Amino acid sequence: MPTVLKNISEIRRFFHRNEDPVYFISATNFNLLGLDEWVKNFKYICYIDCYGGKHPNVFCPSEQPHAEFQSIEDINNYLLQHKEVIDFIKRRGGKPKFVFLMFDEETERLSKELGADVWFPKAKLRTKMDNKIETVRIGNKAGVPSVPNVLAEVKSYEDLQKTCEKAGIGHDLVLQSAFGDSGHTTFFIKSEADFRRHEHEIVGEGEIKIMKRIDCRGSAIEACATKEGTIVGPLMTELVGFKELTPYRGGWCGNEILSTAFPPKVRQKARELTFKFGEQLRKEGYRGYFELDFLIDKKTGDIWLGELNPRITGASSMTNHAAFAHADAPLFLFHLLEFSKKKFQLDVDELNARWADSANIDSWSQMVIKHTDDSVDICTEAPETGIYKMLEDGSVVFDRFDYHRRAVESENEAFFLRILQPGDYRYEGADIGILVTRGRSMTKSFQLNERAKKWIHGIKKTVEGKPLPAANAGPVLADPAFKIL
Amino acid sequence: MHWRALSEDTPGPKWAGLFAEYWPDYKRWWLKEGDSARASYLVSRRALEDHMPEIVPLYDKLCELAGGGDQAARFLSFYCPPPYLAGCSQAIWTGEEPVLVRNYDYNANAFDSLVLRTNWQGRRVVGTSDGLWGLVDGMNDAGLAISLTFGGRRIVGTGFGVPLILRYVLQTCTTAEEAGAVLARVPTHMSYNVTVLDANRNYLTAMMAPDRPAIITHAAVATNHQENVEWISHARFTATVERERFLLQRLTLHRDPEDKFIGAFLRPPLYSTAFSAGFGTLYTAVYRPRLGEMEVRWPGTVWCLGLDAFQEGGRRVQIPGAA
Repeated sequence: MPTVLKNISEIRRFFHRNEDPVYFISATNFNLLGLDEWVKNFKYICYIDCYGGKHPNVFCPSEQPHAEFQSIEDINNYLLQHKEVIDFIKRRGGKPKFVFLMFDEETERLSKELGADVWFPKAKLRTKMDNKIETVRIGNKAGVPSVPNVLAEVKSYEDLQKTCEKAGIGHDLVLQSAFGDSGHTTFFIKSEADFRRHEHEIVGEGEIKIMKRIDCRGSAIEACATKEGTIVGPLMTELVGFKELTPYRGGWCGNEILSTAFPPKVRQKARELTFKFGEQLRKEGYRGYFELDFLIDKKTGDIWLGELNPRITGASSMTNHAAFAHADAPLFLFHLLEFSKKKFQLDVDELNARWADSANIDSWSQMVIKHTDDSVDICTEAPETGIYKMLEDGSVVFDRFDYHRRAVESENEAFFLRILQPGDYRYEGADIGILVTRGRSMTKSFQLNERAKKWIHGIKKTVEGKPLPAANAGPVLADPAFKIL
Repeated sequence: MHWRALSEDTPGPKWAGLFAEYWPDYKRWWLKEGDSARASYLVSRRALEDHMPEIVPLYDKLCELAGGGDQAARFLSFYCPPPYLAGCSQAIWTGEEPVLVRNYDYNANAFDSLVLRTNWQGRRVVGTSDGLWGLVDGMNDAGLAISLTFGGRRIVGTGFGVPLILRYVLQTCTTAEEAGAVLARVPTHMSYNVTVLDANRNYLTAMMAPDRPAIITHAAVATNHQENVEWISHARFTATVERERFLLQRLTLHRDPEDKFIGAFLRPPLYSTAFSAGFGTLYTAVYRPRLGEMEVRWPGTVWCLGLDAFQEGGRRVQIPGAA
């Protein structure tokens, strides 16, 4: 084995022969699906078994309480204290390396106790970068502009109006609190009634990012900041707020990857801005994988920084399965390389130029399907993970079990990853599963296309639930009021 | 369950009658760890003087009506009582007319089933009684409404039983801001989330605890945990995280009319049927503080009571599974 890895081929071979156990610990393994095929000794430790025990590299503890966790960090911290998980890690030996979707200082403490290295920048730094207010600041430094905005505390609706008048951004607004995912912490506010509905999430939450509302398309791009420079993935479309998929207005519900989603100029600009942002992140002390959301003005094509996710994300599976990822290496492999302490040389410019080539991108889309009805019940039946087929009449049927999304052969097939299981609560906003198809799921004007709607309907139709117990102390049982003397 | 609604402007024979009726049960509960486990009269009264001086004359009057005994006076001070915990969910609906809605999830056998309207010390107050002069939710004539949920922490410290703190707030405060200051100041013996809403639509939730300063938040929803779930088995059992999320969804995702919002409290997942475990929903209370209106609801039944239109009476409510 050479002491310095000099090209992609040597990097691939290095991971092919990797001896140190690497673990992705998270609720599911979806974000890094397939990475185990690039890295020897790579295992997933998950809370939800999406595969019914049939995935060779997924480990789920068998004894689990049915608790509703408050966050992904809570899930990870729970897993790291579970006997079966600890036994599994100890049994496999070596010096374990952990990667997470989300983690906090408690996760770091637990990892240390298990003798593992966390292959991400420190939680404290990540949290700082994740703060939307901080993102604006880093973007400004890097020359990556944000939508006209003002950062301020909000005390009341009148106070908000005053702030916006002063900043000259009008009264049709988008507000975001410092942390949290877009579906839950982005508020569209035009009137006092809108404000009242979200008041409890705005007042007392510290500095808020108050943006002028623009008519834009959402896009996502992932990158990895390495010592040799920032490697940039392709620009993806974002599926946002489709009522068939999510109850959250403005909530992320999927992505598409395709070479022509945006005009070449926009794609090129996004890549340049991402590179600049990544270089600035390195100066701030951050390294490794990250994702940027860009807002692209529908009319002018202007491109604005939306938010930074200093981590792997829900779109990572798209980036890491694109054609270029198979041709060279998945982007996350460079993240592992950066943290492995292995010396390497890499012509990042050459790699970036190759990944910008549209010939290296083929079309895929993923849709995150949530329960969108305003109802609560207990799931009795849910579709299992595998390859599904769409029949001539538009109905959707299970075809075969598989855990490789690339096993999808045509646009009439799709890979479905099950999240909701029989026995789980099915509530508005609960994840049912993720559907990956070849081809687009949106029209040119960014609406769900007919095929996507049929797929969603077909999957949802196979989910069944039974109502929760209800009580009735109807009027017949209540005596009429009587006077007490 | 047999519910009553009683009104008495100044402490008098009705209240004395109630005391005589409830005291044997309360005494058993209060003495369950032995007499010496509870604070002395001297300590209790001094605590009241230190933290709630305005209501000490009222306290003295009630002690007198209770017969003037040592144990009754110590019990009525609510100072360091035996621990008690409940479930509960509460939320503020911020539509046209602001409303505070809450579910009280508790053991039917350890509950007063009593709505009390008083005009003690010249302030009209109506609410759900606990411990004869404490309240688990209520409203005053200044348009201030208040409600509590258990905070989901096992720590017991030196302080007052929270129902008396609620009574004190309603006796002495007129705005959410004033209430917040009181809730931050008065020591509680266990952890509770107390939400207040005033006539100017201002609201806040105080996360009170005996072992750390109260956190005053702008939360519109409170269930049975504070910033983080700390007592995991209690959280799991009472589904506190699920209920909180459900309520937040109702507030932000939907434009529910008032009645639909209130209706959600009478159905799962908010409405609890875990009566056998002591956490069934005993009632849903609705407060419209600007209008001075209060309602007690059960599935299929609404009982309207208010500060002005208050008719004394009783209801026999039969909830399957509840006593």
